Amino acid sequence: MLFVAAILFIFDPENLLGDKGILPRLVDHLLYTGLSLGAALLVGIPIGLLIGHTGKGKNVVIALTGSFRALPTFGLLLFIILFTGLGLWPLVFVLAVLAIPPIIAGAYSGLDSVSRETIDAARSIGMTEWQILGKVEIPLALPLILGGVRSATLQIIATATIAGYVGLTGLGRFLIEGLAYHDYTIAFAGAILVAGLALAADGVLALLQKLVVPHGVSRGSARTTTKSKRRSIPSAMTRAPITEG
Amino acid sequence: MQSPTVKRITAGFVAIGLTASLAACASGDPLGGDGEVDLGTITVGSQGFAESDILAQLYGQVLAAGGYTVNYSPSIGSRETFIPALQDGSIDLIPDYSGNLLYGADPEATATSSGDVMEALPKALEPLGLAVSSAALAEDADALVVTKEFAAENELVTIGDLAPIASTITIGANTEFEGRSYGRAGLESVYGVKGWKFKAIDDYGGPGTLSDLLSNNIQVADIYTTTPSIKQNGLVVLEDPESLIAAQNIVPLFNEKVYSVNFANLVDKVSNKLTTEELMSLNEISAGDSKPSPEKVATDWLTKMGLL
Repeated sequence: MLFVAAILFIFDPENLLGDKGILPRLVDHLLYTGLSLGAALLVGIPIGLLIGHTGKGKNVVIALTGSFRALPTFGLLLFIILFTGLGLWPLVFVLAVLAIPPIIAGAYSGLDSVSRETIDAARSIGMTEWQILGKVEIPLALPLILGGVRSATLQIIATATIAGYVGLTGLGRFLIEGLAYHDYTIAFAGAILVAGLALAADGVLALLQKLVVPHGVSRGSARTTTKSKRRSIPSAMTRAPITEG
Repeated sequence: MQSPTVKRITAGFVAIGLTASLAACASGDPLGGDGEVDLGTITVGSQGFAESDILAQLYGQVLAAGGYTVNYSPSIGSRETFIPALQDGSIDLIPDYSGNLLYGADPEATATSSGDVMEALPKALEPLGLAVSSAALAEDADALVVTKEFAAENELVTIGDLAPIASTITIGANTEFEGRSYGRAGLESVYGVKGWKFKAIDDYGGPGTLSDLLSNNIQVADIYTTTPSIKQNGLVVLEDPESLIAAQNIVPLFNEKVYSVNFANLVDKVSNKLTTEELMSLNEISAGDSKPSPEKVATDWLTKMGLL
């Protein structure tokens, strides 16, 4: 019954627009997600590529980003707000902190999964390090890099619900209002909307992940498959379970 | 797959548990008259902000000193959550605020003055299986607060003075403020204040609300009257001549099953000594630099008042 009521709530045109409408809150939720993901990519991808390409500092970075994952996002947000006041940027900052570790792990393990012979071959035909990175490593690693981005996106979408507690909006408002007034229909509708958004985003990224596999790799897929199976530990890091939100 | 050691440890715990429960039976024996009588276990809840935690400790520690076994279950949340928790016995006692409690229990209630509210409460709570003991003098009501500059600029003294500028202001408060009797409906019907924007900031008038008020992101904030930040920042509490916002004396709210004369006497000891000034100073101590725990703040005060 609750499920039916929640679905009816979502599809009631009265609830689509206006101050507390689904659409403006969805737009805000996407805005928070986009800004945070953008910031996390700007920081995470270069670091991941650097340690993946050079193999240097990987233990330090992996340990450091691993410990970042243990930071409670909501606690960190409230802590920052004590100093900055309410606003959009504290939220974007903490969501980016949440998303950087899986992005780094994805980029690093993607590069790490590229076979040494391929890289040596590229080097022996006279490619510069930048060319190796741009023309060999990144294209081959792209599915795993995107795997990290996918995991980061899901975590951001789920956790961005906390925006509703600190004077912002987003789909989390439905959960908070539902709980505040004990109107579980609204809370449940909010949960469905967040889950639906996460699934939709994941679907789009999964499709993208399929599309970016380079042609050469697709043809010789048997080889790369065994390769990536052998390296299953680092790639598993990009699929960390969502612990919050 | 348990190792023998684990099994032995488990067996040990079971044995300890059995002994403990046998001992509990023994002390509950009405014929075993002498010695400390275990009056039972009371779980004291709190509402999830510092003042409520301190009040929970005040009542809890006095009950513990009076022979009850006391557990604490802090941060239950708002009234909509802790009323069911009291009814199903997850908690037995929680400090609450008389006016909000009355309106929560009886949405039709109209009493606003301190005495009227306390008179109406027992009847409103009876169908819920809940009861209150005497209220403390201490009062911590919601207050609509503005900055000194904003008050001067718009010549604000009472809540009603907001009416001419209502459509240009944003009020910041917890999510549930909008739906309360003194929220959107009451402000319009009593003071003609309508058309304002609402910004939900769920920190009970805490640092987030304060910073938004000081930086003019919101122009009016719902901050509780005993909050130290009002004095510290020279904020202006808008007067409420029509008593829109009901009296909010501290009352111990409990499940009527735990009531006894002895129980009521114990909690009344705290209520009788607790004035608004005392409560404000408890809040200030708790928010002070050394950040003492609610437990310590409560113990110190009870000792000072000779209640422990």
